[in-house]
This record gives sequence, C-alpha cells and structure tokens, in this order.
Amino acid sequence: MPRLPETLNTFYLIARREFLTRVRSRFFVIGTLVLMVLLAGYIVLQTQVINRTVPTSKLAFVGDAQVLAQPLQAAANAEGIKLQIRSVPDLATGEAQVRSGALDALISGDATSPQVDVKEDLSSTIAAPLNQIVKAVALNRALAASGSDPSVVEGKVAGAGINVRSLDPNATVRTQREVVGIFTAALLYVALLLYGQLVAMGVIEEKANRIIEILLSTVRPRQLLFGKVAGIGLMGCLQLALLGVVGLVATSRTHAIIVPNVGIVAVAGGLVWFVLGFVLFALIYAAGGSLVSRQEDAGAVIAPITMLIVGTYLAYFFVAANPDNPIGVAMSIVPPFSPILMPGRIATGDATAWQIALSVVLAIAAILGMNALAARIYTNSVLRIGARVGFVEAWRGVA
Amino acid sequence: MTGTALEVRGLTKRYGKLLAVSDLNLEVRHGEVFGFVGSNGAGKTTTMRVALGVLTPDRGEVLWNGAPITFEIRKRIGYMPEERGLYPKMRIGEQLLYLAQLHGADHASASAAVANWLRRFGLSDRTGDEVQKLSHGNQQRVQLAAALVFDPVMLVLDEPFAGLDPEAVDAMSAVLHEQATAGVPVIFSSHQLDLVERLCDRVGIIQRGRLVASGTIDELRGRGPAQFWVDAPNAAATWTAPLRGTQIVRTDGTRYLVQLDGGADDQAVLQAALATGPVHEFRRHVPSLLDIFREAMTEEAVATPA
Repeated sequence: MPRLPETLNTFYLIARREFLTRVRSRFFVIGTLVLMVLLAGYIVLQTQVINRTVPTSKLAFVGDAQVLAQPLQAAANAEGIKLQIRSVPDLATGEAQVRSGALDALISGDATSPQVDVKEDLSSTIAAPLNQIVKAVALNRALAASGSDPSVVEGKVAGAGINVRSLDPNATVRTQREVVGIFTAALLYVALLLYGQLVAMGVIEEKANRIIEILLSTVRPRQLLFGKVAGIGLMGCLQLALLGVVGLVATSRTHAIIVPNVGIVAVAGGLVWFVLGFVLFALIYAAGGSLVSRQEDAGAVIAPITMLIVGTYLAYFFVAANPDNPIGVAMSIVPPFSPILMPGRIATGDATAWQIALSVVLAIAAILGMNALAARIYTNSVLRIGARVGFVEAWRGVA
Repeated sequence: MTGTALEVRGLTKRYGKLLAVSDLNLEVRHGEVFGFVGSNGAGKTTTMRVALGVLTPDRGEVLWNGAPITFEIRKRIGYMPEERGLYPKMRIGEQLLYLAQLHGADHASASAAVANWLRRFGLSDRTGDEVQKLSHGNQQRVQLAAALVFDPVMLVLDEPFAGLDPEAVDAMSAVLHEQATAGVPVIFSSHQLDLVERLCDRVGIIQRGRLVASGTIDELRGRGPAQFWVDAPNAAATWTAPLRGTQIVRTDGTRYLVQLDGGADDQAVLQAALATGPVHEFRRHVPSLLDIFREAMTEEAVATPA
C-alpha cells in the first residue's frame, strides 16, 4: 500500500474536520461578522468626521465683482477647498439667501474693494484667497492705468516665490506608518492568542471526552497534531483575510490612509507572519494542552504561553518608539518574539531586508525544532488521563 | 478461515514501578470470539492497547497472520476502548463517516456502511443529531457502530457489555457472533463471566499481568482435578477416608463434592459410596467459568506468594 497518499489523506481528513467544525460554529460566523462591521464602521466613521470639518462654501457674485469668480474657483481647486459658485438675479435676492443660509457669502460692488455680505463671519479659507485675488485685480488695473503691460509684470511676479525646504519630509507618512504598525502588531497579538488557545482547548477537548484513544488507534499522534494545527490555522487565515479585505476596501474608499502601499504591505507582511507565528505558538499550545485532561486544568498550562505573547506585544511599544535600539532590533529577529515585533517593524518601514530574511529563517528553524519537541510531548502525554503530566515526564515518556 | 489471526508474544509493559503485563502470550484465531477475563488492573486494557498500537510495549511483539502487524492492518481493527469517547457536539452521521474515513474507508462505502449500521441499530432518524443529545444506551450503540463502519478485519472491544441493559446485551452479543461467523475475529474483555461462557469460543484468564489459563471452555474445565457429586444419604462424613487421593471439598446436605487427584479411580469412589448404602446421584461436576476463574485465581495466589 503506498504510504504517502494514505498519510496525506489522513492529515487532510483531520484538518478538514477541524476547519469545518470551527468555521460552522457560532463563534466564527457571528464573531467574524461583528468584527467586519466594527472595522468598516470605524474606518468610515472616522473619515466622515474628518470630511464634515470642510463643508462646501456657496458663493454668489454680483456686478463688477463677477470678474473675481473665475480666479477664486481656480485658486480654490488648487488648494483643495470645496467651493460652489451660484448666480443670483440681484443684490436683494442674494442678501435674502445669505440670511436664510442658502448662500455663505454674497460678493458685490467694485472688484478692487468688493463688499462681502455674510451671515456672521467669512471663513478664513475663503477670505485669504479672495483677498489675494482682489489685490491682484487692483494691481493689474493700476498697472494698466500707469501704461505698463500687465502681462510682462505678471510673468515676473509669477516667477517670484518662496523656496520651501522640508527638514522632516516624511513626518505624516511616519505617523501613519506608526499607527499601521501598532495595528498590525495588535492584530497579530490577538490572533496568536485567540487561535493558539483554540488549539490548546481542542487538544484538551479530545482528551477530556476520551475520543483520543479511538483516534490514536487509527492515526499517528503527529497526524492528529498537525491536522489540528492546520485546520485551526486555515480558519484563522480565513478570518484575518476577511478582516484584511474589509480594512483595505474601507481605507481605500474613504482615503483614510494617504501613504501608498502601506496598507497592502502591512496586510501581506501580517499574513505571512501570522502563518509563521501561528504554527510556532500552536505547537507550543498543543504540547501544553496535551499535559492536562480537563478543561479546568487548562489555565495552568495556557497561562505561561499567554504571558509570553502579552509580554511580546507590550515590548512592541518600546521597539516602535526606539527603532534603532539594538535590543529591540535583536528581539524582533529572534523567535518567539519575532512573530509580533517583526511585522510591526515591517509596517513602520524600520525593518531592513536582511533583518526580515534572518527573522524568517530563524522562525522556520524554531518551528522545526518546536515540531520535534511538541510532537514528542504530545505523543507521550496525550493518552495519559488524570493528573497533569509533568514537563520532564512528558519529555522522557515514562509514566 | 482458521488459524491464528492476532498473536501477542512475550508482551511486557511497565508503568514506572508497576509491572502491568509480564511476558504475556495470547492468540486469537480467525472467526472466533475470544473472551478476556481478569480482575481490575490485571492487564487486559494494557494488552488491548498494545495490540492496537496505542501503547508501545517495553518488550514483546504483535503478529498478524504470523508476520509483525503493520500500521495499515491496525488502522482496520475496530476498537471500542473502555473509556468511551466521541465528539459530543458532532452529528452522528458525520462523526461515523469521519471515523470510517480515518480508518481508511472511501467516502462511498463509508456512507453506505454508516447508513446500514444506523438502520440496524434503529438510529436512522437520529443521523443529524449531535451525539450529546442521545441517551446513554444509544451513545453505546453509536460507539459500537464506530468500530464497525469501516468493515474491520478484527474487533477489539474493552468491556463492551458494561452498563448495557439486557436488551442491548442481546443485540451486542448478536453482532459479535455475526461478525465472528463472517470470519472477523473478535476479542473482548468482560467481568460478566456467564456472558463470556455463553458467547466465547475460547477464553483467556489474566491475573497480575500474566495469562494464567487459556483455551476453550471445555479445555479449561478439563484442566482442574475431576470432581463428582455423590448423594449418599447413609454415608458418614468420613466415608472417603480409606480412598487414596480423594477429598471432600464441599458438603450440601447428603450430597458430597468429591475431588479426585491425578491417579485416583472414580469407580473406587462409587463402590465406596455404595458400601455405605443407597446412592441417589453420582455425576461428574461441570465447573462454570466462574469456578474455573476462582480456581485459576487461587492457583496463581499459591504459585506466587505475596
């Protein structure tokens, strides 16, 4: 009988059961929907609040002042100010509209000293460009009156201007990247914690309801262990990918993130590191779970692993605040800290190529090492029902 | 098919300082029901777990048709562990299908077998229910179905009758008998000796990790010294005293249970009884499995003083 297909088939059956059981569960369906709605709602709400601070100004021009309309519209477009120019039949109608709020300002009279009627106050975003245009019109008219050619003077004026030298050109980008970095690290922290504990509880469940003995009479412990890790990991990937798509769509639709590719890089890096981190921690959680036989005893073995993950997440804030600190850099490269710290540093753009490459290689090496360790502990303890199995016993395999 | 199907040779297993099984030899033949009898902690479960490959022995080997047993063969053994276990929140049909596929059955034959066994156990209408919603008895039926749905090459059942009502006991017995008749060897452990006696072709008695006796019930009966019931109303309590190699092991009114050692002559006993007056009964005592079991326990205790 060919060995490989049989082994693969068993692995597939186990992983599929784990995946389907969990994807069909209320925890997954409702949890994912709620998270997707919350995430999209948060992003949309945030941008809505920002948009409401720059409402469209509605203006109308009457008489000589109408020559100001075109230049103001052009200036507004260049500055990104939202402006709508309306026409009114006469001054009285315009004034009435300003009083009613249908118009924000009515500009009338001489173009060089126009009268601006407003209900209460003129917004500075309109006042500043309007003033400049009025001054330019006045200048042009004065130049024409003095016999000079306004177009020559205009050309010279256009050439004049300030030279801006930016000392910290990426400040905004930097801030956005930091936010995305914290978001990525937080998401990985929650995902590793949540899905890792699901693996531990799944292992304990099989021991607690004793089906483990039937399973082990027909499959090898490693097939069961890896099938479980793969099935739950796939469920985690699916949930994260759904959330990632919602996040990307919502941010691109609302322009919440202006830095190009930051979102995509963060999501891609986050998913790769989720796979690496999840496999590593799932093996640790599975080995821990195999030591106990009852859900009540789960805390004792899960708590130390949970503390490690929480501690790593807290360390991220230090790492993010001190991007060049050698200890922080080293921690972000070495497992078991790298699965949370490195994707955060990738999102902020602090990680260099060699650091990323080294951390991935080390993470894979750690997974291979943990695989041997976890499989051994799991095999030695998974059939022992009753009191918690000591770590040393589990390693040696003696009862 | 006849001949040995499963053979356990020189099995030894320790748990720390406790010697659970010591140099145990056992064989189960094709088409037979083998009963495994012994006190709690005698080593029955350990032996079965080793046979299934769930436990690794310290020494000894397990053979199938004379060759070391492979993982592929073990996959196709139906097993019912002493500690029953199923996924409580998984649907019955799905669960049985899953277990059948894990045991190597393809989807089509597994589905057919699941439907078949659920019908046989009267659970067809519960296919979509979660296991935890079933009564205890029905959960036991599903558990047995889990050992049958992949067309097993052998059945290993640890205490299959524990906690069953009489009706379920009959149903279980019928299934075991039917499987053995179809050529599938069955080994099961039980404390219900009357059941074992009725159901099994051969029996193994295990005590403190050692197989102290094994064979057909008749063979086991033939092992011990011959015993005769003698009803001699006029006999004195010491009527066997002149006879060599005989002793009265039990007295029930005017009835005596006389045990004869190796060379003693049963006809001499009858003549001695007739010499006392009328004899109303003279018949060979057929020990029950319980008697054999007690006998074996006593022998073992004598052979290995604590």
